Amino acid sequence: MISVQNLSKRYGNQWAVESLSFEVPAGQIVGFLGPNGAGKSTTLKMLTGMLAPTSGTATVCGFDLCREPLEVKRRVGFVPESGAVFESLTGLEYLEMIAALYGIQREAAFARIKQFISFFDLSFATLTEKLLGAYSKGMRRKVVITAGLLHNPEVVFFDEPLDGLDANAAVGFKALIQTLAREGKTIIYSSHVLDVVERVCDRVIIIEKGRLLLDGPPDELVQARGVDTLERLFTELTGGVELEQRAADFAKTFRP
Amino acid sequence: MTSQSATLRRLFLMLFLRGRSARGLRRESAPKSIGSKLGLILGLYALLGAMALAFKGQTVFALSVSIHSMTFMFLGMFVTASGGEVLFNKDEADILLHRPVPARTLLWAKIRVLIEVSLWLAAALNLVSFFVGFGLPHGGWLYLVAHALSITMEALFCTGSVVLVYQLCLRWFGRERLDGLMTAAQVLIAVSVAMGGQLLPYLMTRFAGKFSFGQNSWWIGLLPPAWFAGLDDAVTGGRTPGSWMLAGLGVGATVVVLGVAFGKLATDYERGLQALGESRSRPRRGGPGRRWFDVIINMPPLRFWLRDSVTRAAFLLTCAYLVRDRNVKLRIYPGLAPMMALPLMFLVRDRSAGGGDFGVAFGATYLGLVPLIALTTLQYSEQWQASDIFRAAPLLGPAQLCDGARRAVLCVLTAPAFAAFVTLLLLLQIESSKLVLLLPGLVVLPVYALYPSLGGKGVPLSMPSEEARAAGRGLSMIGVMLAALALAGLGVWSKSGGWFWWFLLGEASVVIGLYGWMRASVKKLRCLSLE
Repeated sequence: MISVQNLSKRYGNQWAVESLSFEVPAGQIVGFLGPNGAGKSTTLKMLTGMLAPTSGTATVCGFDLCREPLEVKRRVGFVPESGAVFESLTGLEYLEMIAALYGIQREAAFARIKQFISFFDLSFATLTEKLLGAYSKGMRRKVVITAGLLHNPEVVFFDEPLDGLDANAAVGFKALIQTLAREGKTIIYSSHVLDVVERVCDRVIIIEKGRLLLDGPPDELVQARGVDTLERLFTELTGGVELEQRAADFAKTFRP
Repeated sequence: MTSQSATLRRLFLMLFLRGRSARGLRRESAPKSIGSKLGLILGLYALLGAMALAFKGQTVFALSVSIHSMTFMFLGMFVTASGGEVLFNKDEADILLHRPVPARTLLWAKIRVLIEVSLWLAAALNLVSFFVGFGLPHGGWLYLVAHALSITMEALFCTGSVVLVYQLCLRWFGRERLDGLMTAAQVLIAVSVAMGGQLLPYLMTRFAGKFSFGQNSWWIGLLPPAWFAGLDDAVTGGRTPGSWMLAGLGVGATVVVLGVAFGKLATDYERGLQALGESRSRPRRGGPGRRWFDVIINMPPLRFWLRDSVTRAAFLLTCAYLVRDRNVKLRIYPGLAPMMALPLMFLVRDRSAGGGDFGVAFGATYLGLVPLIALTTLQYSEQWQASDIFRAAPLLGPAQLCDGARRAVLCVLTAPAFAAFVTLLLLLQIESSKLVLLLPGLVVLPVYALYPSLGGKGVPLSMPSEEARAAGRGLSMIGVMLAALALAGLGVWSKSGGWFWWFLLGEASVVIGLYGWMRASVKKLRCLSLE
C-alpha cells in the first residue's frame, strides 16, 4: 500500500530525512516513532503530498507521489499534529467544506458527518452554532479527525491524534483505528505516547536524525533487545541514558 | 473541479469577511457584525470618493486621473495588505495542502476573492464619480460604461501586480528569504502606491491645463492611474491620440500582468505554500538577533532605563517580534510606510513652494503616529494565548509590560524614523534655523507613545489579531493627525510671530502635566484578567 524508496528531504545543508526506505502492506497499523526533530512530521508531510521530496520515490496506493500527487491525496487522510482549522467557520461548515473538496455530495457528507458526531459524542447544536475558534481542544481534535476520515481514505496518517482527547474518546479512537485496520485500511500512527503505540500497532518504525533506526513488530523488537517495554527500547536507541538518575539529580536543585 | 473551485471561493470569501481566527464567537453574532463593518467601510469609501464633486464642469480626463489615482492608492494598499495573508497563510497548509486540490484551483479561488472585494471597494469609491462623469460635457451614458470598464481593469491590474510581485520573490529568491522578502515587497508596494496616488493629483495641479500624454510629457505614461484615466478619456472625453495610447498601455499592462501572474507563475504557487510549512534550514547568520539586543540593552542609557526586570523582558519580547515575527512585521511596516510618505510629500511640496517651515514642523509632529500605530498593532498577535503568562505572573498590573513595549517601539522604530527625517532635512539643505520647528513634535512624542497604554491595552501580543479589525484605531489616528496639523500650525505661527520659545514652554508644561496624569492612570491599573 505504501512503498518508500530512499526518500530524502534536505533543508539547506541539513538533511531532515535521509534515504528512508520501507514498505507497508494494506491493513497494517504502523507506529512511526522518533525523538523531537527526527524527521517524522517531514516524512508524513512528504507521504501526504504536502512537501516535495528532495530525492527518492514513494508510491501510495499504487500512485507515484511525485508524478500523481492528486491521486495520492484522494486516497489518503491526514490528521496533523497542529490541529489547524479555519476558526471562523462552524464545525459543520468546516466539515462540509472538506467534503466538497473530495467531491462528496452534500447529502452524503451530511449523513457521514452525523455518524462521526454520534461516534464522538459531539453535540449537533455545537457543531452548527459555535465557531471552531470557540471549541475546546478536545472538540477541535475530534473535528480534525473527522475531517481526516470523512472521505473514507485507504491510508490514514495520524500525527499525535490523541492530543487533547479525553480518556473515553481516546479509548474509542484506539478501538476505531484497530477496526479500520481489520477492514483493510493502512494506518501510520506517529506519537510520543509509546505505551499506546505498543498496544495498538502491529509494527513500529523508529527514525532518528532522518535515518531509519529500527523496523519490526514491537514485541519482537522488545524481546530481541532484552528490554521490558517499547519505551525502554526507545530511550536506549535514541540516547536517553540514565534518565531517572538525571531527573533525580535535577529535582534536587528545587530544594530550598 | 468546478465544485471544488466554487467551494474554495466561498470559503475564502467567508474567511475574508469573518477573519481567519475567532475567539468565542457564536455564529449568529458573527455575520451580523461583518455586514455592518463591511457596510461602514464601503460607506467610508463612498464618502472619500465624493471628492469627485470638485471636478464638476471640468474635463473627463481631469476627473478620471484624480479618481483613478485615489482608487489605485486605496486598492493597491488593500490588496497589498490582504494579499500576503490570503496567498501565503502558514496555518492553511495543514488544512488544505493534503487535500486533492490543484495549486492553480487554490490560487484562482483566492485571487477571485481578492478581485471581488477590490471591485466592491472600487465601486464604492467611484460611486459619486459615476454621477459626476455622467454630467460632464463629454460624459453621458458612455462614460458610465467606460468608467466601469476602467475601474474593473484597475482592480485586475492592482491584484495581478501584487500577486506577481509575491510570485517573483518566490521564484527568484526561494523560500529561504521568502518571509523577509514578502514583508519588504509589501512595504515597497505600499509606499509606491501611496506616493503614486499622491503624486499624480499633485502633478495635475502643478501642470494645470497642460496635463496630457504627449511628446513633452511622455512620463505620464509611467503612471498606472493615468492609463485607466486614458481609457475613460479615449472612449468619452478628448479622444486624443495620447488618450488612446494611455488606454492601450493600460489594457496591455493588465493583460501581461494577469497572464504572467495567474498563468505562467501559478505553478510556483504550490512550491510557495509548501515552503511556508518547511522548518528553517539553517540558523540565521549571527544568530536570531538576540546578541545585538543584549548589547544594546546593557549599554547606557538603556541599561538604566530598563533596570526593571519586567519592563526589560517586555522590551526584549517586543523587539524580538518587531524584528522576527512575520505576522507582526506584515502588519506594522506596510501600515507605517505609507503614513510616513505623507510628511515627505508635505515637505517636498512645501519646499518647492518656497517655504519649508510647515513641512518641517508637520513632519516632526506627524512622527507621533509611529509609536501610536506600532503599539496599537503590537497589541494583537496570532499567538495571543501565550500572553496568559502575563496573567499568571505575579504582577500588580500591566504598567511595566506596557512600559517595556513602549520603550521598545521608541528605540527600534521611532528614534530611527526621527533620525531618518532629520537626515532628509539635512539632505534637502533645509536652513538650520528651521530645524527648531522639530522641537514641538519631539516634545509631544512621549504623550503619543503613552496613549495606547491607557486602560492597560498596551500589553504586547495579548489580543487575537482578528480583533484588530474591530479596533477604533482609525479614530485615534485621525485625532493624532489633526493634533499634528494643529501643533505644526501653531509652531510655524509662533515662530513667525517671534514667540516660539514661549509656545514651546507652554507645550512642554501641558505635555508634562498630561504625561504625568496618563502614567499615573496606567500605574493604577490592577491585575490583568482573562476575558
